[in-house]
Amino acid sequence: MDRGWYLRLGFVVTCVVAAWLALWPSVDAWIPAPEWVKSTFTHQIAPGLDIRGGLRLQYEVEVDEAVADRRDFRAQQVVERLCQQFEICEENEPPTREQLDETAERVRVATAGEQGFRLTFTNPEDVAELDRDLITSFGDLREAQRTETTVTLELRDDSLERLRDTAVEQARETIGNRIDEMGLREASVMTRDTDIIVELPGASEAQFQQMREIIARTARLEFKVVDDLADFVQTLQDLPEGIERASEVVSAGEENPQEIVYYLTASGEGSRDRLQAYVLSLRDSGQIPEDHQLAIGQADQGEPEEGEEVEEAWRTYYLYDRAELTGDAIDDASVSVDPQDNQPYVSIVFNGAGARAFERLTGANVKRRMAIVLDDRVASAPVIQQRIGGGRAQITLGGFRDYNQILNEANQLTIVLRAGALPAPIRPANEQLIGPTLGADSIVQGAIGAGLGVLLVLLFMAFYYQVGGLVADVAVFLNVIFLLAVLAAFEATLTMPGIAGIALTIGMAVDANVLINERIRDEMRLGKSPRSAVELGYQRAFTSIFDSQITTFIAGVVLYQYGSGPIRGFAVTLMIGIVTSLFTGVFCSKVVFDWVVRGLKVRRLPVG
Amino acid sequence: MEFIKPGRVFDFMRYRTAAVATSSILVLLSVLSLFWPGPNFGIDFTGGTEVQLRFRGDISTAELRETLEGLEYQSPDVIAVQGAANEYIVRVREVSTLPADIDERIRTELGNTLGDTEVIALRVSPGGDKVSVRLGASAEPAQIRTALEASGVSLRGDVVRFGPESDFRYEANLVGVADRLVSQLEEQLGERGPEEPLRIEWVGPRAGEQLRNSALKALLYAIAFIMVYVAFRFDLRFAPGGIIALIHDAVITVGVFVLVQREFNLTTIASLLTIIGYSINDTIVIYDRIRENTARHRGKSMAELINISTSEMLSRTIVTSGVTLLAIVPFFIWGTQVIQDIAFALFIGFLAGVYSTIYIAAPVTEWFDKVVFAKARERALAAARGRAAAGT
Repeated sequence: MDRGWYLRLGFVVTCVVAAWLALWPSVDAWIPAPEWVKSTFTHQIAPGLDIRGGLRLQYEVEVDEAVADRRDFRAQQVVERLCQQFEICEENEPPTREQLDETAERVRVATAGEQGFRLTFTNPEDVAELDRDLITSFGDLREAQRTETTVTLELRDDSLERLRDTAVEQARETIGNRIDEMGLREASVMTRDTDIIVELPGASEAQFQQMREIIARTARLEFKVVDDLADFVQTLQDLPEGIERASEVVSAGEENPQEIVYYLTASGEGSRDRLQAYVLSLRDSGQIPEDHQLAIGQADQGEPEEGEEVEEAWRTYYLYDRAELTGDAIDDASVSVDPQDNQPYVSIVFNGAGARAFERLTGANVKRRMAIVLDDRVASAPVIQQRIGGGRAQITLGGFRDYNQILNEANQLTIVLRAGALPAPIRPANEQLIGPTLGADSIVQGAIGAGLGVLLVLLFMAFYYQVGGLVADVAVFLNVIFLLAVLAAFEATLTMPGIAGIALTIGMAVDANVLINERIRDEMRLGKSPRSAVELGYQRAFTSIFDSQITTFIAGVVLYQYGSGPIRGFAVTLMIGIVTSLFTGVFCSKVVFDWVVRGLKVRRLPVG
Repeated sequence: MEFIKPGRVFDFMRYRTAAVATSSILVLLSVLSLFWPGPNFGIDFTGGTEVQLRFRGDISTAELRETLEGLEYQSPDVIAVQGAANEYIVRVREVSTLPADIDERIRTELGNTLGDTEVIALRVSPGGDKVSVRLGASAEPAQIRTALEASGVSLRGDVVRFGPESDFRYEANLVGVADRLVSQLEEQLGERGPEEPLRIEWVGPRAGEQLRNSALKALLYAIAFIMVYVAFRFDLRFAPGGIIALIHDAVITVGVFVLVQREFNLTTIASLLTIIGYSINDTIVIYDRIRENTARHRGKSMAELINISTSEMLSRTIVTSGVTLLAIVPFFIWGTQVIQDIAFALFIGFLAGVYSTIYIAAPVTEWFDKVVFAKARERALAAARGRAAAGT
């Protein structure tokens, strides 16, 4: 035997050992694995809901929030239209801050009940601008009341009903997408009225906790301009204990590059709640103007000294309430690490319309601060240095936490940003651990089925192709190990259809060896020596094997790309199966065949 | 041991007209079957009723499922609740049906009973198991009960107030499928029977539009990409045959599934995907041989090439498909309902796959070759002759 063969054998043996080690913890129940194996190879095949059971979560979609959102959005749109009617704003151009301020002098907007808003005009003659055509052009609005200077508009009842339904449906889709983004977990997501039921396969409480966090996150991302020229915070009297006024110098537009701005701050345990409660009381007592918002974010504590415990601190930002851009405009999100200070951040890519809006937004607000508000909390508020084209932005997640915590949060954030925001917040309603959906009986029978299927295939091959069949059997056996090992490494979820799929992959994987054995037979018939028959057999069969597998692989890639949930899981199993069966069917079996014809130097090669 | 004697050539192409005609009829029937009798969609697609039950005596998942099947609930889901003995979540496809105009009737009756109080929202759950009302002002639950009963629904339990204090929201459970199920189980199991249901709910379909759309989109894209690969790697004339064969197999499988009224659910979709993967695999192997033989046997017609190639590969086809079917059979014999359904779909699909490689993919390729490429060859030949004539 030559050196090449020993090298190939060494490679196969290494692969088998590695695969077995990766697989061992998953089959620990039957073949106990030593402790060091379990601690090194922590990834395991996760049995699916149907086999193992899992966690069942029930959420209630707070559809009223979606309604309030739509109401506020419509109010904003109506004001924009009026801005155009007054000839303050350009048509087809988003209004600038100054234009909106000017509009606000002529018309003010305030919410009126759950589904309506009231517009108050300064000049009674302006009321006529809000004519029937303008109202009906928003398909879901109707006029509820009109006085000399005010008009109350409401969302129509039928569209309200539709809005609630789509909120639930979108929430289901979003949650499904988020679970998909997490990988191969085959969760089931169902809706019922305004509830969403998620069933997650899995084992560890830590995983469940992570999923709960990702599922329930609203991920409402908004870009809002900071109103640093207003003196709202400065005028506040009687601050409660533990909340202080502080000031900083920031730039607030090109004409005001050095503006002293006041904000509220609190530090220490419970400071966030304290600050939040005060801000809410200000809002509820009507002290904050309708078109403004006092938002909270983490306060920057500067560089902490080595080993120093950083105390948490929070501060406020005085923002315009209007969201200039929202998470809908995002196409993709990913985590990067800033090489300068080694801090993880999330970089986002806007879609076409989003990129254009972002460019205009930054262009119109140069030297002002723009707050990136995530779930009503200011993530960061950088000063816009120049107009930003190209449709990219960054969200830094600073604060008083260690690197891994920030990185973890950045990862979670990308998952939820990519999958989209929930249209309305959801509230956990019920939670229980459930047993296998299939029942123990089915699982045992399924496993018997899979085992018998493989056994029958092995027996038939050995009987029909004799030595060639035994070689194929070795390949099939290795294929099972490799396939399961890769699934374990991916932490794939294995369901009953998955097991049937694996048994089938095995049936199909035999195809490679059938093609090879048939070719070897052909060559032997032509009187070739076993050695050259094997060489030629492999050579000639290879193109067929490769072509047929690559088409199936293409199907797998596409299914993965465009499918969701169980389809994705299936696609991955399919692709892994193809790769491992190519490796075992063509490469590993050749090593064995070469040993038979070259090492043992057989005169006659029985291949059936 | 050999199934087929080497060198023997079968005249497969002789029966192509009959085969294509038969297949066309079968495909047509499959498509028609989608309208009548129509697919027997499972809970995944239709939704149903979910009840959480605690039993007084010992009962296993399997026994409960069998009992329910005995009561003619089709493929019910039975899921054990962990950490609680004999507590199960049961899902059946049946939902309670309420008259179509029930909304109107309840509104009218509420108006009669409550007088001036405005009904802001009224919602009857699509599963017919719950009514929720939102009023403009406070009302007595008893009044609401009177109104609901007057409109013809029967209530289970009391009308209860829920939600925040500032909203006047009321909710009532209705007698329906769950109550029937509980009383039937009582009858069957006697002392071991269920206590009052812990929870009754309507479940919405799991496979929403999104899942359906993404599955369909994924399939179409997969087909397109495979076609491009085949056209690029082999020849354009091979691509349509392979694709048509693949669609043929999927459609026939769906047709058989509908005709025998087996349940159509997410698992069925996974099986269809497997069939498509297998079907194209088989076709490609034969195409590969045809291409090889095109070079070896120059001057032979496409039909002859197909006959030779298919005959040469017949042994392999029989072994491979036989072995794959062999792997499925145990699932069919020993599997439970879900597994049997998968095995059944695969069995039909794989048989169709083997057949379609020979009788759909090959004839389509031959026909396509004749219609599109033969003309091109003739033109090229004529042009060559023309050039030769002009040269002399």
